[in-house]
Amino acid sequence: MKKIIYLFVLGLFIACSNEPQPIDYGNDHCDFCEMTIVSKAYAAQAVSDKGKQYKYDAIECMVNDQLQHNYDMPVNLVANFKQPGTMISVNEAHFVINDSIKSPMGGNLAAFKKETTTVNKASEGTFSWEKLKLEFLENDSLTTSY
Amino acid sequence: MLRSFFLFLFLALTSVVSQAQEIEVCKTCEVKTIQAAVDMAEDGDILRIKSGTYKEHDISIIDKSLTIIGEDLPVIDAEMEGTAISIRAENFSIEGLKIINVGRSHTNDFAGILVSNSKNFEVKNNRLNQVFFGILLERSSEGTVSGNIITSNAKSQSTSGNGVHIWKSENITVRDNEIIGLRDGIYLEFVNESEIINNLCKDNLRYGLHFMFSDHDLYKGNIFENNGAGVAVMYSKFIDMQENQFRKNWGSASYGLLLKEINDSELKNNIFEDNTIAISADNTNRIDYVENDFRNNGYAIRIRGAVYDNNFKRNNFLYNSFDVAYTGRLNNNKFSNNYWSGYSGYDLNRDGIGDVPFRPVTLFSYLVNKTPEAIVLLRSTFIDLLDFSEKVSPIFTPADLIDAQPQMKKIQW
Repeated sequence: MKKIIYLFVLGLFIACSNEPQPIDYGNDHCDFCEMTIVSKAYAAQAVSDKGKQYKYDAIECMVNDQLQHNYDMPVNLVANFKQPGTMISVNEAHFVINDSIKSPMGGNLAAFKKETTTVNKASEGTFSWEKLKLEFLENDSLTTSY
Repeated sequence: MLRSFFLFLFLALTSVVSQAQEIEVCKTCEVKTIQAAVDMAEDGDILRIKSGTYKEHDISIIDKSLTIIGEDLPVIDAEMEGTAISIRAENFSIEGLKIINVGRSHTNDFAGILVSNSKNFEVKNNRLNQVFFGILLERSSEGTVSGNIITSNAKSQSTSGNGVHIWKSENITVRDNEIIGLRDGIYLEFVNESEIINNLCKDNLRYGLHFMFSDHDLYKGNIFENNGAGVAVMYSKFIDMQENQFRKNWGSASYGLLLKEINDSELKNNIFEDNTIAISADNTNRIDYVENDFRNNGYAIRIRGAVYDNNFKRNNFLYNSFDVAYTGRLNNNKFSNNYWSGYSGYDLNRDGIGDVPFRPVTLFSYLVNKTPEAIVLLRSTFIDLLDFSEKVSPIFTPADLIDAQPQMKKIQW
């Protein structure tokens, strides 16, 4: 009986936590642009402090959504471009904007885990999460320019 | 004078002779691989590929104007490695090939046929099977993609590509293709002045046809059936949509047509049948919806935020669970002269126009829009009562959202 109570309490904690749920590729929809999330190399997700899940098909969608609505999420994850399907925290990621990266919403944006990427001199330069948000604010990014 | 004439004649003749060269490729021919034929070919040559299986990938054609003709569907098997054929040239055509087993990747867009930085070309009557991307065009213009049949199994794959994928191109015609089981049937990103005509896009994982940042395009006479959503038009303007059929896009978040941030466009003579939501409009401005049929959809039209100056005129709304769902204010959108199967008014002066206005937004559709779970109450007597009282004195639904000239008879167009 006691065990069951423990389990129940544990269940309560799990239910309230802001653990990110894995993205169901091909079925989940982007919370910003409504497109179905299919690409494992560019996806992103966030969880609010109340545990609400936000999923995005592209990192640029997550940035735009958070900037437009002034969200500040405790959990922000982005796909590691080098290992599609694995999500990393925005704090351990470098962001690269380059024409050769064809991200779903035209942001030419991808994330790389910090240690694994060597910065190419020809690339446009890399951004940290905070710098990336500033960059989007300044440029009034592609997806909001209409 | 005479000498220059002969010189001209000589030049003309030699050029004819050099153009007429034809290279045959088959297992028993002198030339056994397509790449070898391409390497020895010169501008203007014809490559005739006889039937058989060619296990080749990354065949590359650079700066040669070739006519490649497959006879009896020769098979190019890329053996799951990379792109089958890639081309950068002007004035070429590829027809009658069967391309199978294109490689898959998360970061590279491998395709059956990759056309890059090209002009004046034709890709026609090919069959593509088990491909990642089918036909991929980038930075190209004045091209035609027609009569191809592209099939794959995107649904069961962890990665998937688009059937016809066009990026940064203009003046492209995509006509009479069948695209089944890919991610997006036809995908256009930064594509202007192009036409998508008479294609069939079926069973695709995401969209049948997908516009991103593309302007001044036409799509006409296409059939979109059982895709994740039929067509998505996003961040685009001046898109002409005519005579298409949007069918059987069923699912919790499935649309016949998803409009997002699109301006100055027209929808005419389209048929929307058996979709969960026939049209979802979000941030759309100055769109005319004229003479379309909406039959048996969950929602015919769902209007979300920031929609201005949309005109719905002479459409037939036939037996949809909800004709219109609306969020926010009316915002200068107009409904006029439509036929509504749910209209129960009368026409005393017999001019074909109902004497009482029709209110397409019911209280229930307003409720369901706010609380989707309320849908379980659909068709209950209580809801009918609510809808009736709202009809008499609108409180929740926009009071001025009416069709003041509802037609008594179905509109023939």
